[in-house]
Amino acid sequence: MYRYDAIDREFLTDRSNEFRHQVARRLAGELTEDQFKPLRLMNGLYLQLHAYMLRVAIPYGSLNSRQVRRLAWIGRTYDKGYGHFTTRQNLQFHWIKLKDVPDILDAMAEVDLHAIQTSGNCIRNVTADPYAGATAEEIDDPRVWSEILRQWSTLHPEFSFLPRKFKIAVTGALTDRAAVKTHDIGLFLRKGREGEIGFEVVVGGGQGRTPYIAQTIRSYLPSEHLLSYVEAILRVYNRHGRRDNIYKARIKILVAALGIEEFTRQVEEEWGKINAERADLPAAEQARIRAAFAQPNFETLPAVSEAFEAARAASPALQRFVRNNVKPHKVPGYTIVEVSLKAIGQTPGDATADQLDVVADLGERYSLDDIRVTHAQNLVLPHVKLDDLPAVHAALEAAGLATANIDLASDIIACPGLDYCALANARAIPIAQDIAKTFADPDRAEKIGELKIKISGCINACGHHHVAHIGILGVDKKGEEFYQLSLGGSGAEDASIGKILGPGLSAEKVAPAIDALVETYLHIRTGGERFLDTYRRVGLEPFKEAVYAQAD
Amino acid sequence: MPKLIKLIGDASGPNFGAEWAEDGFVHVGDDDALPEGDVILSLARFQAEGEILLSNSRRVGVRIEPDQEVEALAYDLPHLSVVALSFPKYRDGRAYTSARLLRERLGFTGEVRAVGDVLQEQAGFMVRCGFDAFEPNDGATPEAWTKAAHRFRHVYQRAADSRRVAFEERAV
Amino acid sequence: MKAITANRLIDGEVVFWKGGAWIEGFGDAQLFDEAQDAEVEAAVAAGKAQPTVVIDVYSIDLTPSAGRWAPVSYRERIRALGPTNEPTHGKQAVGGEVIEALRHADGAARSTGRVDLIRRK
Repeated sequence: MYRYDAIDREFLTDRSNEFRHQVARRLAGELTEDQFKPLRLMNGLYLQLHAYMLRVAIPYGSLNSRQVRRLAWIGRTYDKGYGHFTTRQNLQFHWIKLKDVPDILDAMAEVDLHAIQTSGNCIRNVTADPYAGATAEEIDDPRVWSEILRQWSTLHPEFSFLPRKFKIAVTGALTDRAAVKTHDIGLFLRKGREGEIGFEVVVGGGQGRTPYIAQTIRSYLPSEHLLSYVEAILRVYNRHGRRDNIYKARIKILVAALGIEEFTRQVEEEWGKINAERADLPAAEQARIRAAFAQPNFETLPAVSEAFEAARAASPALQRFVRNNVKPHKVPGYTIVEVSLKAIGQTPGDATADQLDVVADLGERYSLDDIRVTHAQNLVLPHVKLDDLPAVHAALEAAGLATANIDLASDIIACPGLDYCALANARAIPIAQDIAKTFADPDRAEKIGELKIKISGCINACGHHHVAHIGILGVDKKGEEFYQLSLGGSGAEDASIGKILGPGLSAEKVAPAIDALVETYLHIRTGGERFLDTYRRVGLEPFKEAVYAQAD
Repeated sequence: MPKLIKLIGDASGPNFGAEWAEDGFVHVGDDDALPEGDVILSLARFQAEGEILLSNSRRVGVRIEPDQEVEALAYDLPHLSVVALSFPKYRDGRAYTSARLLRERLGFTGEVRAVGDVLQEQAGFMVRCGFDAFEPNDGATPEAWTKAAHRFRHVYQRAADSRRVAFEERAV
Repeated sequence: MKAITANRLIDGEVVFWKGGAWIEGFGDAQLFDEAQDAEVEAAVAAGKAQPTVVIDVYSIDLTPSAGRWAPVSYRERIRALGPTNEPTHGKQAVGGEVIEALRHADGAARSTGRVDLIRRK
């Protein structure tokens, strides 16, 4: 993992002092709310319905145990004993007082955490594959490049007042676990002809009011030119992105308006004018950052663990957990363990301070002090020995963290919605809870198989509903919460935007409608088809009939 | 008339600071009668009248709005004393790009002045992008401006200034 | 019937207007009837003149519920209660008749004051 040096630490101290100064000026009346708001947003501080919300950056979703313990402590001390993991691999505290924020930032800085650029019209926290450094299918470690981008984009003097927010995601694997094609810039690590490392660069993806899947702007960019090329894209966007309409200000609208060919031409022309020697990162610094992510000292272990096999044979619960939450690791004898924050009836993505402490302990003891956050609002212990799996499972089970439902129907993504968020039009969490209860039977959930249900409480789409197998969008229809269903989206390597199924439904009709969709799928699926595959084969009609015939 | 703050010293040096400066320039609107002395004009007026103005002995500056490209001035820059970059709202960040292009690509060595909605919160970004004169909109003093511009001991990326970047500090 | 709401600057707490002061419980909020629009306007203006005390001051429309008054919009009811997924968090934790009336209210429109706030932005 990347370790902060004195420079990184002094930077965080300066940042925290700056915000303390700004809060004091605001409270003294020297800054108006209009002037203060962009400043607090640059530190991830929103005013929500009940209190302030502080969004903590978790760069590329990577934490150590000390950081997780500190987050638990902040949750206990300054919040109501919990935190909420987001689809941006970040963590939000929902009950924060403005007067406490400078102290909280200081407490975070002590463990190399911050809230920089988790909001505002700047380059946001960079996200990446949560299995980085653990999965065998990786071309290169995306954390190296994410950290390079994190540093480069931190208080970037030219790109801190963009037309709108700007999100970058990186993956080194073929399986896309970071929703890369829904980002403003997506980076897929690729191998060049001589085996050298580069990127396929995609641009103009995004969700919100007008969803787009990103398009390829360059099929191969030598890795050493990453920063100059990203600078060229950002500069074209900063100059030409729309600033007259907040809903048309993201880069996706510029790319769509110009067309990918013309946008590419402008970026390549700008790139040609940039002095790459100054703009690109020197090789020595790249090597320094890469060294921080060097493979840890994995033990040499047999591929089969007798202790694990014996425990598994004796425990159906462990078998189910292994089937759904345990993924292959690149090193024999190790596994990747997903920790579901989607226990049936719980708020998706919420973790109590006590649960965070448990995860911190397990990460420290069993996962080389490495803990990850996924964009699906779950946690990952990326380096667990098979020998230790029974103990890890037992500890998770005791903490209510062993729900064996990764990527199943009850593993629902939901934004905080109108229970917390000032932008929301409808609640998302109670809908997710209803649906999860509908699919609470684990045998049925496994029979249904992979099904990604995602809920957003407004058109901003923090709940990724556009790229869900079944997407749900909450709207306010004449003062009542209504929910619009869409089918066939995907945020993975087979990315697509879902299609709206039909008229919106009232809250109590959503879970039964999802049940009807699933029953239809179970009737008509063939072979090993996932829900998404069946939808892609048969289209909307049979599903439409199932939901609306029943509703009439 | 807004007061003018100018940088003194090198951004990376110990003598870096800011001070009040006499503003010899008058911002002239497109329909205003031309006064005596040094003037800052819109791009349109400069393109119409600039050649004549440059030929008499006064100094000339041009004000660039965010939707105008500084490249339009490429051939005139050696004759210009000031390029004033406008911030209609402080959240409009196009002038940062314009400033960097003036300094790093077009080699402009005259004054790059921030005008419009100019707050001390932006000082650090502006100085790094090559601005060296400011008409603050928030009553900021040179002391506050200097402090705001140097709030951070370290920077993470190269820009138009001469500050040593984190990776250069590390390499020492 | 109307009430006036805001968030307190220093901690973000939802507050309601009561005779020149800001209080935390909706049950204690000052209520204004249809004849008192001028008073509502004056109170909103007074709140806006306190930028270091409260932010986002606006009036909300109320509807009868269980013999009491409750905000028409569900957004305002959630603000007056707390998040519905955590029934022990926020103002609803105290329980009682006022809370029950808020929980059981339903309405059909956004508050006009809030709509104005959105439009202004």
